[in-house]
Amino acid sequence: MRRFFNRAFLACLLAALLAVPGWVALRSHRETSAYYENRTLAELPALTWESLWDGSFGTKLESWYSDHFPGRTTLLKADTKVQMDILKRPVVNEIVAAEDVLLPFAEYGEQAPEDYARQAADIGADLQKLDAHIRANGGSFHYVGFPEQRVYFGDQYPGYLNSHAAEFETADGAFAAALAERGVRFLDMGTVYDGLDHPAAYYSTVDHHYNYYGAYAAYRAILDTLAADGWDLPVLTEDDIDFVELPNPYIGSRSRKLYNLWPNDEKAVIGVQRDPVAFTRWDNGELSERPLFVVPTEEYLPTTYNLYMGGDFGETVLKTDRPDLPDVLIFGDSFTNALETLLYASFDETHILDLRHYTEKSLKDYITAYQPDLVLCIQNDTFYYTTTGNGAVWED
Amino acid sequence: MAFSSMAFLFGFLPLTLLCCFLIPARFRTGRNTILLLFSLAFYGWGGIRLLLVLLASCVVNWGAALLAAPGRRHRKAAFVTALVLNLGMLGYFKYTGFLLNNLNALGVDVTVPSIMLPAGISFFTFQAIAYLADVYRGTIPAERSLPRLTLFMAFFPQVLQGPILRYGEFAPALTDRRETAADAADGAVRFCFGLAKKVLLADALGQIADGAFVAGDRLTAGLAWLGAIAYTLQLYFDFSGYTDMALGLGRIFGFRLPENFNYPYVSKSASEFWRRWHMTLSFWFRDYVYIPLGGSRCSRGRQVLNLLAVWLLTGLWHGSAWNFVLWGLYYAALLMGERFLWGRALDRLPAALRHVYALVLITIGWVLFRCTSLGQVGEMLSAMSGAAPGGAWSGEAAYYLRQFRWELLAAIPAALPVKNWLAAKLEVRRASGSRSAALTLALAPKLLALTLLGLSTVRLLGSTFRSFLYFQF
Repeated sequence: MRRFFNRAFLACLLAALLAVPGWVALRSHRETSAYYENRTLAELPALTWESLWDGSFGTKLESWYSDHFPGRTTLLKADTKVQMDILKRPVVNEIVAAEDVLLPFAEYGEQAPEDYARQAADIGADLQKLDAHIRANGGSFHYVGFPEQRVYFGDQYPGYLNSHAAEFETADGAFAAALAERGVRFLDMGTVYDGLDHPAAYYSTVDHHYNYYGAYAAYRAILDTLAADGWDLPVLTEDDIDFVELPNPYIGSRSRKLYNLWPNDEKAVIGVQRDPVAFTRWDNGELSERPLFVVPTEEYLPTTYNLYMGGDFGETVLKTDRPDLPDVLIFGDSFTNALETLLYASFDETHILDLRHYTEKSLKDYITAYQPDLVLCIQNDTFYYTTTGNGAVWED
Repeated sequence: MAFSSMAFLFGFLPLTLLCCFLIPARFRTGRNTILLLFSLAFYGWGGIRLLLVLLASCVVNWGAALLAAPGRRHRKAAFVTALVLNLGMLGYFKYTGFLLNNLNALGVDVTVPSIMLPAGISFFTFQAIAYLADVYRGTIPAERSLPRLTLFMAFFPQVLQGPILRYGEFAPALTDRRETAADAADGAVRFCFGLAKKVLLADALGQIADGAFVAGDRLTAGLAWLGAIAYTLQLYFDFSGYTDMALGLGRIFGFRLPENFNYPYVSKSASEFWRRWHMTLSFWFRDYVYIPLGGSRCSRGRQVLNLLAVWLLTGLWHGSAWNFVLWGLYYAALLMGERFLWGRALDRLPAALRHVYALVLITIGWVLFRCTSLGQVGEMLSAMSGAAPGGAWSGEAAYYLRQFRWELLAAIPAALPVKNWLAAKLEVRRASGSRSAALTLALAPKLLALTLLGLSTVRLLGSTFRSFLYFQF
């Protein structure tokens, strides 16, 4: 009996050890990306003398082999399920499943308040220069800041995890103070939402963005602020829009990391204008047929936050051919996407830049060339202190 | 190449097995050649430039041993020269930075070069020194075949982390070993268990330790103890897991490598701990340093000096930093204390108390080992004694307890000889005719091994899960 088991065991083991390289050799070229990880899979490294000499070939081959392991996604999905539902780990794939919402796990270390004050002064100085540059070009500038979903739902973190609530309060406060000190107009959407009783319905439970209700409330707050400054802009009121819940399953950036295994029935919402404001669209300089909402063709297909404007582009231009209205330039992170579907209706031309992707001109050169009437910077508070991408506001 | 890598598990290992076992057993040299070539490829995987260091060491020691063998003229000079070359090479690669940094700290302005440390240099150098010493003493004959000596030095199951081999034990297997299915199955089971120790336990527990040892101002007494205990367990599962994999692989290829661990955390004293932990290193220091210095057959003062010398070297062998020196001296003090001061009193204590005594001292020892500076040693030990900047307990400690509770729970029986106890019970039942016991003994370890291999593979894949969220959004 023992002899039989020994041989059977060795045969099974050897078969498994040989099956994997065989499968990888035959099928590795078929998949090039990992959907749930939102990345491209590693490519087979080139065998060179240099890479063998310094050992980098082995490291790269290991990445490639792991990425193309047979059934990798299925195995990782099953593992995620086990970690979540059987082992009940508080944090799985860097995501915390709180009672009603998915939040990112944040390390415990915090930055000192004085560091924030120092950085805020530097960033405030750059924004002050930008503000002066916009004024010199005949426009005005508003910085619109949003709490990221983890900040908005900060109170949902289990007590033993660090929500960084106090740190965000310090950081956001230092940032707002730095801008106020330098005369840069700052609209803190966190305060606006708090004034509306901090509705849970404004933010996604499975994504790091707000949802369309949050975006609409922000849109109205921005236009109210502009109206108070004397701008006379058409406004899309609740009577002009039907809020339509899409039937498709919604996969957020947080639920995606859990292979969409966290039970939830959140749906994406879009705002369908009853009397749509017509527009012509250009993406990265090319005429585009892309609509405001890129909805999947079938109901069973999942949708993501990318449905708003079709995701991030370096430059998007929307022209409504209403020359009596002012022009706006919006730059910022993906929180702009849902807002753009509303804001464009209040302006003649809407230019949108995402400086993480747009490389043709610097922001100040773009403003000089385009001379917008209004410039809006839209950022979530986790990016306030970023000095690259949309934080690089005063670079040549 | 790491054992716990996809390239090894599902590339290198099956290829080596195929190439080796496709050659009939009677062509022993052929199989040895295959093992040698794959061992060199295994080592060279981390960079061919480092392989050259290993090869140079093999050639030098092979030649030196031939010249240092009994009956050769100037054999003492050959032995001493080779010893100096071995220690010089180890010193250059491992201790140059440490030495120059200390000179800089003393005000001597010297540039510290960046020297790439060849993996396993401390292990293969000690193996080489043992071989030279044994040849010089006439305990074993010098090996005339360079490939055979190179295989001894570079044998891939143990070249990176031991166990430290003696050529006298290894050489007979080069010609007389017999690979059997039973040995291969046992070896494979042990390899899978070792892999699981490393991947499922050590790597997870390491996350607790990493968190605690970088906590700084957030450090609480609870977190300090949790981190210290986690590191104590991590180190054991990491190192003994590697050893299990090495011994398992050796067994598959017909070699019986020496045991390196014997459940060290069941020890009841520091002295016993060192008879159970990294045994091949302890034996090496005993045979090639302590006994030649006079061992314990000399005056008490000389014994103290011998112990100090051995433990200073043991500390430095583990790493080129002052905390390793401190760690070595800490054990020197404990071992001298147990031998000359409180050893008899300790023996009279109840076993449970002696066990607690040993575990606390071992844990403190690992804190010295893990800290990156003497300042951090002070912070950790203060926190463990209750004077922590963050107080007694924190959410961070609670998080680690919750997140890794399964690993912590599994670690305790896995660190104790539960497996041996169960096997012995089953063996008794099998001997008395129980078929279920016989079936369990034959089948359970294999099924468990396959399960652990599967779980370890998934965990390894999980460690490659990466999500670049903000690139898209």
